[in-house]
Amino acid sequence: MTTEAAASNAVPNEDNALIARTQAGDPSAFDVLVTKYSPRLYGLVYNMTSNHEDTNDLLQDIFAKAYRAINGFRGKSSFYTWIHSIGVNMTINFLKKRGRRYTLSLDDVDANIQNDKEFIELTSNSTSNPVREADLGELQQRLNEAMMRLSNEHRAVVTMFDIQGMPHAEISKILGVSEGTVRSRLFYAHRQLQNFLEEFRKK
Amino acid sequence: MPDDNFDELQTLLRLKRYEQPPPEYFQSFLHEFHRRQRAELLRQPLWRIAWERTVAFFAEQTASRYAYSAAVAAVLLCAGITSMNFLKPNDRDLQPPSIAAAQSARLDLDNRPRAHLPDYFKEFSSRKTASVASLHPRYVMDTRPVSYEPSSSF
Repeated sequence: MTTEAAASNAVPNEDNALIARTQAGDPSAFDVLVTKYSPRLYGLVYNMTSNHEDTNDLLQDIFAKAYRAINGFRGKSSFYTWIHSIGVNMTINFLKKRGRRYTLSLDDVDANIQNDKEFIELTSNSTSNPVREADLGELQQRLNEAMMRLSNEHRAVVTMFDIQGMPHAEISKILGVSEGTVRSRLFYAHRQLQNFLEEFRKK
Repeated sequence: MPDDNFDELQTLLRLKRYEQPPPEYFQSFLHEFHRRQRAELLRQPLWRIAWERTVAFFAEQTASRYAYSAAVAAVLLCAGITSMNFLKPNDRDLQPPSIAAAQSARLDLDNRPRAHLPDYFKEFSSRKTASVASLHPRYVMDTRPVSYEPSSSF
């Protein structure tokens, strides 16, 4: 688990207090939750849609829906799990309606990537990896195209596990499936992505 | 055929975290959220908000969705049967008690074998006219018809 994911799970009491205040009629408490969870939810939705504008609209709808449903929140799961469930379900419903007609609208890659240890290793050591052969922008586009070729359910699992660093157990709670299903979806998705990137490497 | 070692792939996927919106995006997000909330309140009908809250309430419960579906179906079925029984029109209920009883008695008489009927009644019942069918007894005593003749015959 990444430190970011761990930090989100480590403060359920703080979230519960904010939820209780929201349920009691204090909307500013919900603002704190929005500020806290919008970056993570943005990452989830963005990596499932590969479109910044769609992500923005969906994220607004997700928080609006959560706010309307907050009185029904009984704390059987953490707020983190609950809001992510809403986010995944709404995004998958949106993608089903959108169908195959979409355009990539990608965010810029943060300049800090140049300082990332894994990025440095990937671009310097390996002799036949796609990063060496392509510039960063092209690689980003190829990777997003490969992601979009996955089914919505497989893309959701890859996003949560590989990009957001969630553990299998958390993903299974969010999706309402068993951990075994999460693992098998991950394996299948990795094989698919590997194949897509192999095609890219051969071009 | 690619192997099942996904380390390089997973490293590439992790680097997608660096795809981020501009820094000011999340600062304006909350402001935009408030603006949309106000706009939605003016636009959305009350029944839709109530429906979403109902759906959210049931989604939060621990019992399986099938149990709730079955319970709702059972309640609707009972309500349907009950309302059908209440709303079903009954011809006799629409008539005064004396007329209903008289018609009942007449039906009983019509079903009796003709041989046992008195002559005057055979003659009466053999008249197949619509007026007779719709004729109400002129006199009813102790819920039994005494006469079907119009008053002018007396």
